[in-house]
Amino acid sequence: MHIPDGYLGPQTYAVLDAAIVPIWMIAGARIKKALKARQVPLMALAAAFSFVTMMFNVPVLGGSTGHAVGAVLIAILLGPWAAVVAVSIALVVQALVFADGGITAIGANVVNMAVIMPFTGFYLYRLVAGDRPGHGRRIVAAGIGAYVGIVAASIAAGVEFGLQPLLAHTASGQPLYAPYPLAVAVPAMALEHMLFFGPLEAVVTMGIVAVLARQDSALLEMKPAAKPLRWLWGALAGLILLTPIGVLSPGTAWGEWSAAQLKSVLGYVPTGLGKVGSLWTASVPAYAPPFIANPLVGYLVAAVLGSALVVGVTWVVGKLLSRKDDTPAPTGPPSDAA
Amino acid sequence: MIPALAHIADASPRGRGGVRSLARRTADAIGHAVAEVLENDELAGGPGLMQALDPRVKLASILVFAVTASFVHSLPVLVVLVLATMGLAAASGVSVVSFSVKVWSSAGLFALLACAPSATAWITPGPVLIPLGPLSITAPGLLIAARLVARVIAGAGFGLLVIWTTRWTDLLRALSALGVPDLVVATLAMTQKQIMSLLRTVENMHLARESRMLSTGSARENRGWVVDRMAFVARRSMKTADDVYDAMLARGFSGSMPSLVDLRATARDWAWMAAGVATSVLVLGIDRTVFPT
Amino acid sequence: MTAEFVLSGAGHSYGPAIRALDGIDLTVEAGEHVAVVGANGSGKSTLLKMLDGLAFCTSGTITAAGRPLTEEALEDPAFRREFRSRVGFVFQDADVQLFCNTVFDELAFGPLQLGLDHEDVRSRVAEVAASLRIERLLDRAPYTLSGGEKKRVAIASVLTMRPQVLLMDEPTNALDPRSQVWLLDVLDEWKRAGRTVVIATHDLSAAAESCDRMIVLSEEHRVVADGTPEEVLAQRDLLLGVNLIHQHSHRHGADRHVHPHAHEHEHA
Repeated sequence: MHIPDGYLGPQTYAVLDAAIVPIWMIAGARIKKALKARQVPLMALAAAFSFVTMMFNVPVLGGSTGHAVGAVLIAILLGPWAAVVAVSIALVVQALVFADGGITAIGANVVNMAVIMPFTGFYLYRLVAGDRPGHGRRIVAAGIGAYVGIVAASIAAGVEFGLQPLLAHTASGQPLYAPYPLAVAVPAMALEHMLFFGPLEAVVTMGIVAVLARQDSALLEMKPAAKPLRWLWGALAGLILLTPIGVLSPGTAWGEWSAAQLKSVLGYVPTGLGKVGSLWTASVPAYAPPFIANPLVGYLVAAVLGSALVVGVTWVVGKLLSRKDDTPAPTGPPSDAA
Repeated sequence: MIPALAHIADASPRGRGGVRSLARRTADAIGHAVAEVLENDELAGGPGLMQALDPRVKLASILVFAVTASFVHSLPVLVVLVLATMGLAAASGVSVVSFSVKVWSSAGLFALLACAPSATAWITPGPVLIPLGPLSITAPGLLIAARLVARVIAGAGFGLLVIWTTRWTDLLRALSALGVPDLVVATLAMTQKQIMSLLRTVENMHLARESRMLSTGSARENRGWVVDRMAFVARRSMKTADDVYDAMLARGFSGSMPSLVDLRATARDWAWMAAGVATSVLVLGIDRTVFPT
Repeated sequence: MTAEFVLSGAGHSYGPAIRALDGIDLTVEAGEHVAVVGANGSGKSTLLKMLDGLAFCTSGTITAAGRPLTEEALEDPAFRREFRSRVGFVFQDADVQLFCNTVFDELAFGPLQLGLDHEDVRSRVAEVAASLRIERLLDRAPYTLSGGEKKRVAIASVLTMRPQVLLMDEPTNALDPRSQVWLLDVLDEWKRAGRTVVIATHDLSAAAESCDRMIVLSEEHRVVADGTPEEVLAQRDLLLGVNLIHQHSHRHGADRHVHPHAHEHEHA
């Protein structure tokens, strides 16, 4: 799902490029704490592994490219923050070496493959594996984590493409960058990864975890769960705000979007969201400014609520897991062990 | 990306066919492509326009070019950018033909394949240029696809040119000089070595396997073997990583990678930057006024 | 005069299950050339790493030039700089040690880390390159060198730090005969210069030739012999017991000949 330059317009890539700066800074700080002094060669190795894995990719009709990433495996072995750094480095090397992209798109690629994927995969792995997993359970957990991680990332990439026609187009409505609407881009990327690259990623991850578990289980000792709070809110907020910020581009007045226009671009209005949208419209008091009554706002609110729900559940689970790892349960927020 | 697609044509012995053999040749080709780029001393050390520029300036240029290309809306201007990259290639002693083939057959081909459906009536309805039923190529569709491909090729070409004309070590020094933290630069430096070593190991693994096996083995065997080898490589590489770190520690490594060469920007570099920025502004101006969309 | 290294009951374990060294009592004086011999897995490499502060005692103590050699001690920048420049380590696998992009960078790495200014660094590199005769290799990338050349560069990269103590892990491994002779000459030179050398090896003949003291580690990771090479090598039964040599026997008719010997290379 690597995105080359030229697929994303400035409104999109600028936001994502800005978003990764704090993410990288936090990752750097976290790694210094957790991995002590040995991180350089290990990071380099993990980055090289991810790079070599990503080299084997194929074009996805309706999207960009598809390939395995290795992010979840790295997260399992070295922790999710280490995966952020390693995959980021692999992406930077890829951008510099292959030069087919991602200098401007580096933000999007990092968010998809170096943030969404390892964190989603890692937490799912911890969730499924539990505290002291047996050999089989650990492997299955790794596979599930890897699969869901890469699919989640591919959906994010699909959304990033799919938004392009919405955000930037010629006067006659033709897309200037990635040409596919959400209704094509998201299913294309998601299906390709659900059917092919997801299983590939899962198999590779499971295989390596299996062999390592057999021969050197010290490597697979549970890494302390990362504290997801701040960065997650920031990144998520950034992503959610993406659409309205893009909509503020010249030529499209805020608030003029209607369900009809949305439908023509998306191809459909998800019925559930449509209901939420009307619920929102119905509950807005008459004196509110007109744009608040807009169904798009309702859609965004639903997105925020939905994401908040997912994040909340994940965080609670993560908190519970790390609380189990710590010695006497802390009264405050979970401590970041090591 | 698979620059291998450009190499597969000249991949050596047309041996026994079959998917596995093709996969291996692809892997070899990719490996060679990466190796070629990471060990580009010959071209990067030679004479030429791009070679003479300060690496920091070149890195900044990639960004400026990519950003400019991303703001250009019209196809004609994008084509001009593509031609500009070819001109720079020529001025830097790079064969324009081999340069273009490389860019077009990797980045260009990928972009083309990915956006091909958007050129058809299925995605972009409009006046039909090539009737193919539901997959007819429409005028607006073709324009959309051409725009994307042109933008990708322009950006990829410029980037590739900078990479080809800059030594990896200079690139790292430039990153360091531009403020990237030492630890990250050190990791990048080591990543290059690890990549080369991983690729060589993968190559050797394939060779060792082919020399041992008389039959092709079942699919399950193959998968099992691949995974086992990958785990072996992972474990061995982790041990090596530890050893390398020890070696660095033993020579006093304490977190930073100081280097002897001082990068100094010359008048030529400033001229290049000024020209680049001016050109970008000019290009965007023309794009918006002469070819409004 | 303070001893160079003093180990007292030193032991090292990787986790609870794997013990690499067990209760080592050892003193190395300045200027000694010591060979640490033992079968694979006896703990030679670990001992060397402990001497260089790359691995730390999990039991017992170790001091270097009178100061305790611990992880905390090495966090002090002044001590670290002093220690790292005084003690040099030549790794078994030269590739591990050659991580820079050119041979010149490799030689310059150590002095740069020590904080020397560029002029000093350049002159040291030139000096060492001349003495090891690798000037023509300075611009090359390390991975393009032959095995013998890599070893020279590896040693050079340590010598630019002007160490007083040299620790070498299996130095004759993977060296062609001519390079092995060259190495023994270098060791002789260092002896004349008064440098302390500790070599970990299973190459008994090289050890005997270049060192004046031999220490034997058993497969239980303990010191079982410590003396001059002649004394130690005479204890045939001991050497058999620690798996450093073995006996072949064959028959000639009714006679049986027994030949104890060591191999230059270890059995797999």
